[in-house]
Amino acid sequence: MSSDKLLSVENLAVEFDTYGGTVQAVRDVSFAVDAGETLAVVGESGCGKSVTVQSVMGLIPMPPGRITSGTAKLRGRNILGNPIVGGEDIRGAEIGMIFQDPMTSLNPTMNIGDQIAETLEVHRGFTAKQAFNRAVELLEMVRIPEAAKRAKQYPFEFSGGMLQRAMIATAIACEPAVLIADEPTTALDVTIQAQILDLMNDLKRDTNMAIILITHDLGVVARMADEVAVMYAGQIVEKGAVDDVFYRSAHPYTLGLRAAMPVNDREAEHRLTPIDGSPPDLFHPPKGCGYCARCPAAMKVCNDVVPPEFAMSDTTDHFSRCFLQHPESSAVRLDGLYRKEVSA
Amino acid sequence: MWRYTAKRLIQGVITVWFIATATFAAMHMVPGDPLASEKAVSAEIRANLEAKYGLDKPVFQQYLIYLGNLARGDFGISFTQKNREVNDIIREHFPVSATLGLLAVTFAGLGGVLWGALTALYRNRLPDIIIMFLVILGISVPSFVVAAISQLGLVNLNNLLGFNVLPVGGWGTVSHMIVPALVLGLSTMAYLTRLMRSSMLEIINSDFVRTAKAKGLPPTRIFTKHQLRNAVLPVITVLGPAIAAITTGGFVVELVFAIPGLGRYFVEAVQQLDYTVIMGTTVFYGAFLVFMVIAVDVVYGLIDPRVRLD
Repeated sequence: MSSDKLLSVENLAVEFDTYGGTVQAVRDVSFAVDAGETLAVVGESGCGKSVTVQSVMGLIPMPPGRITSGTAKLRGRNILGNPIVGGEDIRGAEIGMIFQDPMTSLNPTMNIGDQIAETLEVHRGFTAKQAFNRAVELLEMVRIPEAAKRAKQYPFEFSGGMLQRAMIATAIACEPAVLIADEPTTALDVTIQAQILDLMNDLKRDTNMAIILITHDLGVVARMADEVAVMYAGQIVEKGAVDDVFYRSAHPYTLGLRAAMPVNDREAEHRLTPIDGSPPDLFHPPKGCGYCARCPAAMKVCNDVVPPEFAMSDTTDHFSRCFLQHPESSAVRLDGLYRKEVSA
Repeated sequence: MWRYTAKRLIQGVITVWFIATATFAAMHMVPGDPLASEKAVSAEIRANLEAKYGLDKPVFQQYLIYLGNLARGDFGISFTQKNREVNDIIREHFPVSATLGLLAVTFAGLGGVLWGALTALYRNRLPDIIIMFLVILGISVPSFVVAAISQLGLVNLNNLLGFNVLPVGGWGTVSHMIVPALVLGLSTMAYLTRLMRSSMLEIINSDFVRTAKAKGLPPTRIFTKHQLRNAVLPVITVLGPAIAAITTGGFVVELVFAIPGLGRYFVEAVQQLDYTVIMGTTVFYGAFLVFMVIAVDVVYGLIDPRVRLD
């Protein structure tokens, strides 16, 4: 449907062999991003967010990992499942990636400048000196003061926020078309988090790159995203424009996430409501909807059949994988759930 | 870094002084008399020695004389070998032991890093299983057994081929050194292999190696610049004590391969209560090892930027 987009992932499924059996970490995930767009992928720990993007990057260790189906196309060219060696013209060059914990994500025995320069030497054929000079410029671009001096320092001499800036500088060194940020601000305190997010937004505006942002922080989503994909138990259960997903939430899980989020409003009577229970065992994924066991409005059909994607609008891409969106279940009530208006 | 090195050297001198004092105290607590051993010395030598070392004087005075001589670099004259200065013994035989020891450490270090990295990359596959089996053998079989077996193997090999591939014993050329150095370094190599393997396994799964992959670096570059350099740090840490173990543990290997090293004189001197030779070689070995440990620490600081040498 969206193969004309910059990066499109279709029907991705990833499994891991473990001692306990086979884990179906990602089950039939599709999404796409276009240049200048930010797609946020949200969901709780273990729902397959990181595995999804890491398999696009070819970072899944195989074995034990296995991509059982799907395609990932960058400008129409399939990049998925390339053997490790073949991925090098994509990784770092076309798609840059930053990670959750900047403290451990940089090589402790190599100076910051060299770590940025490395990608330029490998992908752009720069000489060591050219690459290092460019690395200093990149550090200036991510607003690190005294960049020339800082480039010669080592990760232990940087603070967490500065390390994440250095990571971003590394990721964008080759001017990639897509930046994947895997929980980029989870390890940082709130003020630093805001600075990093602003920086990413500015870079997106300046370079027109696409951003795939993985997070479990809905505040970050609201600030950054154009589109949101809500993942649960290895599947995207709701996806759509950020306003659609936030204000016209069409899946009980999205409602649950919203109810569990604190609100910055003293007047509002808002109790934080956790979602009861825990995610399903992905060794034996449920036959039907993954959220069924925790859903306040689960029906008999939810237990047995995987819900298809119900389009929430004729004009947008907003969809929900929930049988409550089926015309025949309109009698089942769930407060706050958005339902497609039935046109006459 | 220079300040750090100077500080460590001063500490080293103090350590050596402790070693010297402890050796001196130990020698005077051991019953017996070097001049009354079976190789009885003539009355003339005995009188000269007693005059020089003041063996009839109070112990504390003897200690001061001993320290004074040490400070001048004079280890004295052997009590039991006629006309042999301890300095001569060290000068003649230490280079042999040191060459053998350093060669063994080089084998152990390079081999340990190489095999350790290899086993980690082939974790739980055939190369890993074979090498780790050999490592267990290398750690548990004592060096005199390995020395004897390797000699036997060499003899058979030389007989089979009809010419000397490598000499079975003796000292002189590089070909004499190879087998004894391998035998001497074997158990350390096995130990370093285990250490390197576990350190490498940790590094392979580390976040920054994942970052290096995400940057699209070729595997060889990831291996050399990101994995090896970080994985080798714990190996370097234990290299100091390893040098100590190898250079002092060389006696057996020197004996089996008929190598004229310092170890033999050291052990013979202990049996004969040859005060000056024991104290001289002990202090000399002590100083050598302290210096090697300092050198390893300084090298560590060069490789790991987090170790601030000041």
